[in-house]
Amino acid sequence: MGKKMLNFEEQCQIVNMLKSSSEQKSIEETVTEFFNNSKLRHFNVCYSLALLLQDKIMLSSTERLVACAILHRSYSSQKSAANPFISFLVNAACDDGAEKYERAFVLHLLSNSNKELLIFAGVYHFLKQSASDYINNFDPSSQTFPQQEQLQQQYFEKVHPEPYSCLLKNTAVKNVLADPDLPCGCDANSADLDLLQPGAKPKLGSGDRDEALSGLIANLSLEGLAPHWIRPVPPRFPVDEKELVWLNPDNNHELQWDQGMCADTSRGAAVRDLIAKALKGPLAPNQQEQVLVELANDPKLVYHCGLTPRKLPELVENNPLIAVEVLTKLINSPEISDYFTVLVNMDMSLHSMEVVNRLTTAVELPKEFVRMYITNCISSCENIKDKYMQNRLVRLVCVFLQSLIRNRIIDVKDLFIEVQAFCIEFSRIREAAGLFRLLKTLE
Amino acid sequence: MDSRDSSSSSAPNRDGAAADDDGVLSVTAALAKDAALYFQSRKFAECVDVLNQLKPKKEDDPKVLHNIAIAEFFRDGCSDPKKLLEVLNNVKKRSEELAHASGEQVESGNNVGNKGSSGSKGSGTITQQFSGSNSASIIYTDEFDTSVAALNIAVIWFHLHEYAKALSVLEPLYQSIEPIDETTALHICLLLLDVVLACHDASKSADVLNYLEKAFGVGNVSQGDNGNMVAQQSTSLVGKSSSVPSSSLVSDTSSSDLAASVNASENPLSRTLSEDPLDEMFSTLDIGGQNLARSAGLTSANDLPRTTVDRSISGVDLKLKLQLYKVQFLLLTRNVKIAKREVKLAMNIARGRDSSMALLLKAQLEYARGNHRKAIKLLMASSNRADAAISSMFNNNLGCIYYQLGKYHTSAVFFSKALSSCSSLQKEKPLKLLTFSQDKSLVITYNCGLQYLACGKPILAARCFQKASLIFYKRPLLWLRLAECCLMAAEKGLVKGSCASSDRSEIRVNVIGKGRWRQLLIEEGISRNGLVDSSEKDDWALGIDGQPKLSLSLARQCLYDALHLLNCSEWSNSKSALPSNASLEENEDGASSKNSNHKNLSGIDSKASTMSVGLVNSNGDVKEPKGGTNQEIIQNSISYYEGICRRENQMIKQALLANLAYVELELENPLKALSAARSLLELPGCSRIYIFLGHVYVAEALCLLNKPKEAAEHLSFYLSEGNNVELPFGQEDCEQWRVEKPVDCEESTGAASAKNPSPEGLVDFMFLNPEEARGTLYANLAAVSAIQGELERAHHFLRQALSLVPNSSEATMTAIYVDLMLGKSQDALSKLKRCSHVRFLPSSLQLNKSS
Repeated sequence: MGKKMLNFEEQCQIVNMLKSSSEQKSIEETVTEFFNNSKLRHFNVCYSLALLLQDKIMLSSTERLVACAILHRSYSSQKSAANPFISFLVNAACDDGAEKYERAFVLHLLSNSNKELLIFAGVYHFLKQSASDYINNFDPSSQTFPQQEQLQQQYFEKVHPEPYSCLLKNTAVKNVLADPDLPCGCDANSADLDLLQPGAKPKLGSGDRDEALSGLIANLSLEGLAPHWIRPVPPRFPVDEKELVWLNPDNNHELQWDQGMCADTSRGAAVRDLIAKALKGPLAPNQQEQVLVELANDPKLVYHCGLTPRKLPELVENNPLIAVEVLTKLINSPEISDYFTVLVNMDMSLHSMEVVNRLTTAVELPKEFVRMYITNCISSCENIKDKYMQNRLVRLVCVFLQSLIRNRIIDVKDLFIEVQAFCIEFSRIREAAGLFRLLKTLE
Repeated sequence: MDSRDSSSSSAPNRDGAAADDDGVLSVTAALAKDAALYFQSRKFAECVDVLNQLKPKKEDDPKVLHNIAIAEFFRDGCSDPKKLLEVLNNVKKRSEELAHASGEQVESGNNVGNKGSSGSKGSGTITQQFSGSNSASIIYTDEFDTSVAALNIAVIWFHLHEYAKALSVLEPLYQSIEPIDETTALHICLLLLDVVLACHDASKSADVLNYLEKAFGVGNVSQGDNGNMVAQQSTSLVGKSSSVPSSSLVSDTSSSDLAASVNASENPLSRTLSEDPLDEMFSTLDIGGQNLARSAGLTSANDLPRTTVDRSISGVDLKLKLQLYKVQFLLLTRNVKIAKREVKLAMNIARGRDSSMALLLKAQLEYARGNHRKAIKLLMASSNRADAAISSMFNNNLGCIYYQLGKYHTSAVFFSKALSSCSSLQKEKPLKLLTFSQDKSLVITYNCGLQYLACGKPILAARCFQKASLIFYKRPLLWLRLAECCLMAAEKGLVKGSCASSDRSEIRVNVIGKGRWRQLLIEEGISRNGLVDSSEKDDWALGIDGQPKLSLSLARQCLYDALHLLNCSEWSNSKSALPSNASLEENEDGASSKNSNHKNLSGIDSKASTMSVGLVNSNGDVKEPKGGTNQEIIQNSISYYEGICRRENQMIKQALLANLAYVELELENPLKALSAARSLLELPGCSRIYIFLGHVYVAEALCLLNKPKEAAEHLSFYLSEGNNVELPFGQEDCEQWRVEKPVDCEESTGAASAKNPSPEGLVDFMFLNPEEARGTLYANLAAVSAIQGELERAHHFLRQALSLVPNSSEATMTAIYVDLMLGKSQDALSKLKRCSHVRFLPSSLQLNKSS
């Protein structure tokens, strides 16, 4: 499952190297030989060794020395602070529980950092001996052990910035637990020396250290044991009765035959002609009637009678009644607002007022339109120069407004101020006074 | 321009057509009539023959080409709708070009003065005068009228289930429906109604339904019930162009009335034309007003409802049809109570007629109310199951019911039956256009997908959703389901490179060495590392069968797509202020469609308003009271439905963001996970379960980003006095969450029957219970504390966690970690040995032997 830290070759290398440490080979020789294999991934190897070193009893004393030497050597070409295991080595040197010779050995290693020249000068004398010789020749009194802080200062240089990966992993501890399989009451460490002797009889709870060691080496992984986060899987979104598609039979929609094919295209030609005439002048009563009847007979004819918003003013002026009829029929047309716009903007006249008045009773006009129309009426009255024409228009507007108010087409409140001002301005005119009285009664 | 040329080349014919006035039936008109008759009697080969005779006489006439295409399509057994579509589109384009060209000739876009006939009459002045109009209008004169071609295009799209496309054709037609003749208009409205219902667009459905009821005045046309057949329709249509007033009683009387009113007002009018007396002018105004006030009711009453003679459907049939549509609308908006009333009404109308549809709707109603047994009964009673189309529907619906009953395996049987009916439908001959729309296999496949998902078969489910995406690709929910398939597959270890969650939650321990050398090496069994590499690599790699492989990256893609769709719909909803099912709206062609959309909406608005006006103004006495409440009901239904949709979208969004945060964590993108989880927590009205998930995901992402302090703060949201964790949500949240919608529905409709979730159904809710969630929080608090080095605090949390979730391997691992950090390796060992999720593996490799 977890990634193995070491490949098979590396595993063999380490096992062999550790084995050879007990031989009478110099440490230097062992280490050099080990590093001659260029295929080794130094970090992985060193990290495995560091993990093994953490266990106090797994490695023999000679093996430990060789392992430390390797930890040190693999990064010796760089500054000591760059060695990822520097803190491990410093700790080992300061570990009061460790063997003195081991601490001294590590101190030696550390003090010889960055002194490649010394290697050539043969100053690395302590590495020239075998590990067991070093242990045997070690004189505890010859060594002083400096404080940890001192060593840290010496070798760490600056505070080493934590390499970023992630907290959940950075804080990992070693994921190997010693679980001695021993009978009750036995101390795991008591048999320590016994078993180091080759050829000793296996006892209950004994085991093969080499087997355990190689097993460990084979299974070590880069990842340690870290706190674990529970990440709940989100629940599935609930299925409601609408998500499942319920089926109903389709209504059949058949393809339609186009009945307009070769059909008589003269539909409404007469009306079109009449409307065209109606734009130019008043129609004779019988003509008027014909238009109205035909429009009534064919509700669609109004869309084909040739009227456009632009022509509406002419129709209104010449034939207001037809205009009313056409507009009434167009009330549902999408273009009706265009017609209204034209109507509201055309010059004020009796006929336009008549059209609007009739429309208000025939259909519901947009409030905005009526309001705007009235405002236009009032301003037209004010702007007219000819006194006679003005009187005439004012009287007309007054009657128109009274009609609108009586038929409840407009709500007086909407226009009260405007209309009142209008009445006061033209109070000399009889109809205006009448309108004013009507307003007062409604107040 | 070439229309002119061609028409001049075929001048004699045109003259013949123009000579109609003289009462001489032209050759072309006679042929056209023959062709129409053959078409109506479904003799398509003969029809095509006649049309081919007609063709050289009317060179390049789009309408002839149109009818030839239609007739040939039927003659050839409806085999190639796409080809027909192409022809129709060309015809439509051609017509528009011709209309435009002839319009240009008279120096305007005006669509009236461009008639060949009027031109030939030599009244060039008229055409000159009739200039100036909005060229934007799509209303053309009869000759260039494209409404039938457009309708047919929409019909084909509808049958091909391309509702959005059908809608895009129908909406402009509907906008300017007034000038279109009755028959076509009715067809347009009915088709549009089906389309918008299929699009789940409640407000548009209501609008069209409204318009249909008013314009085709279902209430007062029972006398027009007599002859309904197509033959009659055609004659009346032909007759229409002649000036003989052949229409109904209503229009006759009204026209005479109008004439009277005209006469009445005519005298004063003519007097006003003379020079002076003002007083008479004023009286004109007054009198005219009174007169018109009296006749107003009549004119507008006459105006709004369309004359009903031309209908191809009889009055009662139409009434039933509209009633059924109304029920469908109410079911769509889940106004169950009113739907029940209306369905009864429909059954009454359908008495003695075909009531199968009404029965089916009643079954759907009971299904919606949660009365599953009753729904089954009604289904059983309703249909003639021999028909493949009906049988597939029937089985599908039964499948839905059994799914809701929690009997997934039974529902699977029915869904697969439904699918096989569908495939047998495909083999049926002769083909009909309806056959295409009756093939609901994609919809059924979606249902299948849900059922597979419920049965825990993510790969099969994903395959179904993949197929259904052809029609449902704009639904966020589809993509959420697909993402769920991926997650489920990952959980089950079906995704390449992942391991099943059961394996993942297992702690694997290598036992190394024997005796006193025995070592336990804990593998990072629950590490998620292996997952990322492999799934990231074959991102979009397709499987052998062309289906995308399920992976977490696919899940992520799906979730982003779904979020995008959801945001789009929210955005467009808020913008238009009118609810529309945006998932069905075209967002591909950005601005242009938006514009037209806007226009459409305003068009509909105005229609709705004039509608209510018509209601009051016209036949007020008949319809007003009922109509008023009707309006209210519809409005209430719509706003109720909008509420439901909004809430549903909220729910979906919560689910999407929660899933997204989870997936990003799985893919080791803590930053993205963090933003997803934060957005989740910011959602208004977020359910407590999702809030819980949001906090847990945010905290983990923060941990992964080396911000344990902030992570701890997030978790301490649930921390009360004395380092105790509150329940993040209650049992009622789980229940409510699971069955939320049915509950709402019952409340609103006041239906008494309480929904009791079946025991099988409860299995559906695969999530932590509240206590487990609490344990999860404890465990994660412990992890955060441990990371920060607060080992004692971690220890405290872990004790709680392990009592709540004793089987959690994660909590156990953290506990072991803390023990080791505290130097209590014996405690760690005993915890390891006590945990039920540990597998001890003998060390296999014997290295020293091989070396």
